[in-house]
Amino acid sequence: MVQLRPRASRIPASAMVDEGHPASEEEEEAAEHGLLLAQPSSGAAAEPLEDDDEEGDDGFDDEAPEELTFASAQAEAREEERRGRGAVRRDKTLLKEKRKRREELFIEQKKRKLLPENILEKLTTAGQTDIKKSSGKLKEENLQKKNEDCVKGSDSKKAKFQKVQSVGQNKSYLALRLKDQDLRDARQQAAKAFIQNSLYGPGTNRTTVNKFLSLENKRLPVKKAAAQFLNNTWGTQKKQNAKRFKRRWMVRKMKTKK
Amino acid sequence: MTLFPLPPSGMGEFKVHRVRFFNYVPSGIRCVAYNNQSNRLAVSRTDGTVEIYNLSANYFQEKFFPGHESRATEALCWAKGQRLFSAGLNGEIIEYDLQALNIKYAIDAFGGPIWSMAVSPCGSQLLVGCEDGSVKLFQITPDKIQFERNFDRQKSRILSLSWHPSGTHIAAGSIDYISVFDVKSGSAVHKMLVDRQYMGVSKRKCIIWGVAFLSDGTVISVDSAGKVQFWDSATGTLVKNHLIANADVQSIAVSDQEDSFVVGTAEGTVFHFQLVSVTSNSSEKQWVRTKPFQHHTHDVRAVAHSPTALISGGTDTHLVIRPLMEKVEVKNYDAALRKITFPHRRLISCSKKRHLLLFQFAHHLELWRLGSTVATGKNGDTLPLSKDADHLLHLKTKGPENIICSCISPCGSWIAYSTTSRFFLYRLNYENDNLSLQRVSKMPAFLRSALQILFSEDSTKLFVASNQGSLHIIRLLEGSFKHLHTFQPQSGTVESMCLLAVSPDGNWLAASGTSAGVHVYNIKHLKLHCTVPAYNFPVTALAIAPNTNNLVIAHSDQQVFEYSIPDKQYTEWSRTIQKQGFHYLWLQRDTPITHISFHPKRPMHILLHDAYMFCIIDKSLPLPNDKTLLYNPLPPTNESDVIRRRTAHAFKMSKIYKPLLFMDLLDERTLVAVERPLDDIIAQLPPPIKKKKFGT
Repeated sequence: MVQLRPRASRIPASAMVDEGHPASEEEEEAAEHGLLLAQPSSGAAAEPLEDDDEEGDDGFDDEAPEELTFASAQAEAREEERRGRGAVRRDKTLLKEKRKRREELFIEQKKRKLLPENILEKLTTAGQTDIKKSSGKLKEENLQKKNEDCVKGSDSKKAKFQKVQSVGQNKSYLALRLKDQDLRDARQQAAKAFIQNSLYGPGTNRTTVNKFLSLENKRLPVKKAAAQFLNNTWGTQKKQNAKRFKRRWMVRKMKTKK
Repeated sequence: MTLFPLPPSGMGEFKVHRVRFFNYVPSGIRCVAYNNQSNRLAVSRTDGTVEIYNLSANYFQEKFFPGHESRATEALCWAKGQRLFSAGLNGEIIEYDLQALNIKYAIDAFGGPIWSMAVSPCGSQLLVGCEDGSVKLFQITPDKIQFERNFDRQKSRILSLSWHPSGTHIAAGSIDYISVFDVKSGSAVHKMLVDRQYMGVSKRKCIIWGVAFLSDGTVISVDSAGKVQFWDSATGTLVKNHLIANADVQSIAVSDQEDSFVVGTAEGTVFHFQLVSVTSNSSEKQWVRTKPFQHHTHDVRAVAHSPTALISGGTDTHLVIRPLMEKVEVKNYDAALRKITFPHRRLISCSKKRHLLLFQFAHHLELWRLGSTVATGKNGDTLPLSKDADHLLHLKTKGPENIICSCISPCGSWIAYSTTSRFFLYRLNYENDNLSLQRVSKMPAFLRSALQILFSEDSTKLFVASNQGSLHIIRLLEGSFKHLHTFQPQSGTVESMCLLAVSPDGNWLAASGTSAGVHVYNIKHLKLHCTVPAYNFPVTALAIAPNTNNLVIAHSDQQVFEYSIPDKQYTEWSRTIQKQGFHYLWLQRDTPITHISFHPKRPMHILLHDAYMFCIIDKSLPLPNDKTLLYNPLPPTNESDVIRRRTAHAFKMSKIYKPLLFMDLLDERTLVAVERPLDDIIAQLPPPIKKKKFGT
């Protein structure tokens, strides 16, 4: 069974028109729009039907549909479009302004982070002289070597680091990407770990120095103790405390004697 | 620390402070490179120090380059024209300047950590094996090295490299395989797979620690399974297999004539292989393992083969030079085994007024005050201490560089030390029992990389010898300093590290180290006074006597000269002893004299010491000739005076305290001797390979 699409009820529409409500007019127009443009607008049609089910049942049969000329309908449609476009434009401008404000904020923040103007000027205008950085986490020697690398022409195939020119008379800097330094350190650590593992790792037949030196003592006709029989590092804290206590006790004894 | 009187031998009684709390542990030797032309040996240690030994100057360490924390050297080699290169795990190739005593430059090879390096037989190309499996070829230009090209990249790290004597092929040892490359095309010609274990299987990968390429196409490889293998590089097949150890065989060196080679194992044994004919008449030869040497207790990580000797060094920090008897022409004491354990420079300075000792370590300095006693005793007694030795200061250096030299002023109020990039000067204040330290800031840049630092006797002037050859004189004021003068470097090449000596009256300054001889400067007039004639052996110790202003110089061939500075000529005594010559046992001593000092009240006495003896030379007594007993401990007191007079001679030696690192006269009746027993050093070394002995 096919449920026919009920037509938009006129009475509530006209009542709303009399009152001068723009919303329902739009609604009706939207509904008519739907009819005109052959777009299903069952939602739009359904709603007023639900609301005015009881009220508009009577009015359906009596009145004829409202007559609308094509021109007026077209005009109304165009106006609606314009309004819609206006809304879109307003949205767009709003977003644009938001974005602008955000950008400015970021620029401000960046400016605050940067070095003062004069140093930046010197950076951009100064020549190609490289001098080591005197402080900082990066080691001096590494920097010097990186210097040499930069100077070398054809070999620096993967010159991943940026060089910043010298600044001022006293201070001198060389900017390096810390990522490269970390990669280098990681590789060096891996290499050291390899050597350590292959020489002293599991599977190697290693023993302590004490056991090594005491081997002969074990085979003597009169067996001797191990080479490092005494563990001098045993109880250092206890011994220190005892020493301090003894000193204090002596002082106290002297005082009481007097 | 113990204190006990020295037996009188015409010199009176002395109380001796025996110091054993200097915890000196040298770093292990990692690489060794021998240069045939100049007969010099370059040795690199695990802390990055590179030392140059002059084998013809009685195996004296003439130069060294201080270490650096990030520089873990893995390979060292000499190139044409006395150029020294090293490469390490920080991925850089470093060239050393042997004249300016600094690092010329460091070039990153961009291959990750570098494991091996080899110079081509013609001396103009350098090959480097890296962590990422690439073999890189560099061209050695007159002032630098230039990257040429990469060879085919291999799967695992390249741990050892060797050139064919013609320069057309190279052998590269990696993990579980050896590749043979053709130099022109850069491609791998053969890949030889190595068994992980001699006749068996093993889970542990086989690491090829060393390869050697002979001119007949044989490749010799040594690996971590204890095997020495001979491969044919033309066909890429295994020819012979020797199992020589239960542990790794870590190094190999072939002689220039290719008739013998030496390998070092992790157990401390060094094996000598020689090419011998199969039977006495036949021309067919084969490689035979001839001699084992056990001079090391720990891993032997580096070996070198000079025309007449086998050189080995390893984790146990000894450098052992074993001359081969069949190669040595004259069989005298020169053909004996040489074991270099103790440093050839002074690491300890002493403040006589306050009885302080300053110990120099690689990254820190320690200041100790000697203990004291009020007891007295007879000869040979150990006196109990009433006050123990005190550890006053532990001064750590900032930065990754090693300390090159350090000094404390005689009054004990100034400490100065130098690293490659900075110079540090500290002022010490003593209030009652407390010590406060104040650093003098803004030291001038020209003072860095100082090779020797010395304070004047009255502690008002500081003398610094820099590695550029110039001498700086700084006047010390309360809390600050003033640069007085700089003596520019004189003509002559740098032969060894500069040594300084200042006269107690503050007028004269002597400096050695160049090929021109020892220069003597007049401090009052700030000009060069005279130059002691050059001698062909480097100076090991230098000192100026009080009052007489005689300059006493000790050379590495154990000759001692005395030169009078005011008269500008050698003294009578010096001429006499040069005419007669030193006793042959004196000349056969192994270790160089590192310190000379004088008695304030006895101008005829010179006190000097080396690592195994100390000697007081009495210039008033007759000199010994070769027939007299050189080392004559005191005869018992009930002997008649006549015998005592007959056997007495000028050289009064004592071997009671050994191994000696430092010995000095604190005042008229007190000596201080800093000993370092070898067992204490060995106790702090890394673990050695286990040795299984029957019955334990």
